Amino acid sequence: MTATFSDVRVMFGEAASRPATIGGEAIPDEPDLGRLRHERSARLRHQLNSAGIDALLVLGTSNVQYVTGAAMPSVDASRACLLRPVALVTAGDRAPHLFTPYPDGAAGRLPTDHIHPPLLVDLDEAAPAIAATLAEHIDATASLATDEVTPPLLAALGDREPANGASVLHSARLRKTVDELACTRASQRINERAMAEVHKHLHAGVRQRELTARFVGRVFDHGASGVGIDTIWQVMPTHRSAGPWTVHGDVAYPTPPGDRVLEAGDVLWVDSGILYEGYASDFGRTWIVDQEPTEEQQSQFDRWAAVMRGALAAVRPGATGADVCAAARNADPTSLDAGTSPWLDHFYVGHGVGVDPAEMPLLGTDLGPEFDASVVLTPGMVLVLEPVIWQDGIGGYRSEDIVVVTDDGWFPLSDHTYAPFTEPA
Amino acid sequence: MIAGRRKRLWEAMDDAGLDALVLGRPANVAYASGATALWTAGSRPFAPSCVIVGDDIHLLSTWDEGIPDDIPHDHLFGLSWNPAVVAADVAAIPGLADAHRIGTDGTSAGFRRIAERAAPGAELVDARSVLDRTRAVKTAAELSAVRRACCRAGEALDLLRAALTSGTSERDLLSTLAAATAEVGATVITDEVVARRTASGLHHVVTDVPARRGELVALSPTLRVDGYDGTVARTVVVDAEPGEAAAALRARCRAALDEVIARCRPGATGRDLLDTWAGAGGGDLGVPLAHGLGIGAEWPLIGLGVGGADRLDAGMVLAVQGWMHAPEAGGWLERDVVHVTDDGPRTLTREGSA
Repeated sequence: MTATFSDVRVMFGEAASRPATIGGEAIPDEPDLGRLRHERSARLRHQLNSAGIDALLVLGTSNVQYVTGAAMPSVDASRACLLRPVALVTAGDRAPHLFTPYPDGAAGRLPTDHIHPPLLVDLDEAAPAIAATLAEHIDATASLATDEVTPPLLAALGDREPANGASVLHSARLRKTVDELACTRASQRINERAMAEVHKHLHAGVRQRELTARFVGRVFDHGASGVGIDTIWQVMPTHRSAGPWTVHGDVAYPTPPGDRVLEAGDVLWVDSGILYEGYASDFGRTWIVDQEPTEEQQSQFDRWAAVMRGALAAVRPGATGADVCAAARNADPTSLDAGTSPWLDHFYVGHGVGVDPAEMPLLGTDLGPEFDASVVLTPGMVLVLEPVIWQDGIGGYRSEDIVVVTDDGWFPLSDHTYAPFTEPA
Repeated sequence: MIAGRRKRLWEAMDDAGLDALVLGRPANVAYASGATALWTAGSRPFAPSCVIVGDDIHLLSTWDEGIPDDIPHDHLFGLSWNPAVVAADVAAIPGLADAHRIGTDGTSAGFRRIAERAAPGAELVDARSVLDRTRAVKTAAELSAVRRACCRAGEALDLLRAALTSGTSERDLLSTLAAATAEVGATVITDEVVARRTASGLHHVVTDVPARRGELVALSPTLRVDGYDGTVARTVVVDAEPGEAAAALRARCRAALDEVIARCRPGATGRDLLDTWAGAGGGDLGVPLAHGLGIGAEWPLIGLGVGGADRLDAGMVLAVQGWMHAPEAGGWLERDVVHVTDDGPRTLTREGSA
């Protein structure tokens, strides 16, 4: 089935209606989870072989999700470093071992004899058990890599110095399979659908928490497995000086949620992320309470749209991150003349999204121009583009859209109205 | 509350001979700094987010929103994607270069390089247990916070009870609870399902299967309120009075849990609690029998083969749970929050209208 959108954003033009392929394959409407696990596993194995690694021990929540495909609830950070799922991939075995507090999430997805009780890598007294488990599954001479280390894990490894498994996982995760893309799009659709429902209830007198209540209730109704981050409805000032102090002088965003009663004319920068089959979504829009945008506000949206179009025009296989950054900058003469970039100083013009809500490739960060130039876009890479327009005295406009680099350009994975702003024809 | 926590932490640093502390775990950073941060799901690789040198707290934050007033602007360092920038920010923290013993709550190859540059010659010490043991004993203000969170969890339990009827799925209940708690400014911690059908055992991932009249459903909301967690678990029979088998299961599970709770006294060990559970007819839980509760789930973890040697102190707060399963009835889950005091265990769980 060819992926197209019923309600194509003007912003995306013909790109959204062209058949999109990644390595010749179309993005399916529904992810094939069996094929997803198989292809991810093949990619990971390829990276392990290339790096000469025999076994990979995986501790990071999102990496475990990637490696095993096991369902799991979204976990709080405090629990994630006390009682976490851990995966072990070995060269000679097609299936990963999973040591998990959530065995039911792995049932039917991993062989029964590969689902084990939790390995408590954060507890010192578990070091002998960690050592015994590793000895059971991997040879003493095997080369071992890990994405993270904990002191008990280091104690269990003794003299063995683990190789950098994070870079291996990063290489495997950078380009998405078509089923991963279908998961991201499904996650984004749940997010957007809930947001469309919430937007109808945006009125003066409504509290920020009421919006959150409506949103989180709806995302679970629509099939989300969890919420990935506090939902942001930040009321933006018209002057930077009226907002929180920042280390760099740029706008503070996103700050922790409050419970303000919204007033007519309030400008909200909305941001939310939910999880579906382990895949994150990233919703970003600017809303105005009970008012149409002023001319000045609409003109900021127009500037934002020009930056988004400029950036998208540069997205194609073989282009670099630096190309995208330059195209975004050149599309906004106002900030170019001022010597600034049309995105937040502490963030980026674009980032990837997959099992993490913000992952590689990062474009336009403080990693610098050389790093941006080293990022070569290839089919299957996902970009969440999030330009920001700010003009002190008026305020700002910020939205996010998600695209995937295809065989001949890009294809949108987000599809949400910019209301109350009007898209230029 | 923040001052009380810091006093405990400074004393613990002195006792451990630490002149600096580098923290990366969100709960530890919140404990030491008092800063409010965005909640995000999942683990994070260790990276320096809070650096304490003497009495000074330096914090990773690009803005002052949510930062206590006593942490001045020049003690904040901004979010960066560039390890070289992070290394320079950490190296610029006054006094760190002179530190002899730096405690950390995690480790990474990248951080060891940062530390070598920022504090050449300093000894890096694993300070996880310093943080764990400091946090485990609650100040009066923290106890009030856990109490408030437990009240909210009790209200959540009532809400789930009222919403559960035949035809309701776990997902329906999660949606209802998530919305209701968000509205009062709390967060549902979803690393276990808030309601689960128990017939086939204790599962952890939410399902869409509708509950049937007469079956046992365990309700176990955990909520974070103003930074502290409250929790409770009770099991209910859907749209019916418990039958004979269910009533017997409830009685056995409750009695065993009460025995464990009665054992939660200063000086008792994790082994004592585990033995009490087993002696009262409790089997393998598959989940912890008890764990610390405060800024999330905390040390000690008792059960799953660990925690036997951990000793309870006055002032600790534990979530203690019992689970029993009988093929003919289903499963029964109960969980209470217990404050360990010199006068014995005090239950903080509030059951609302139950």
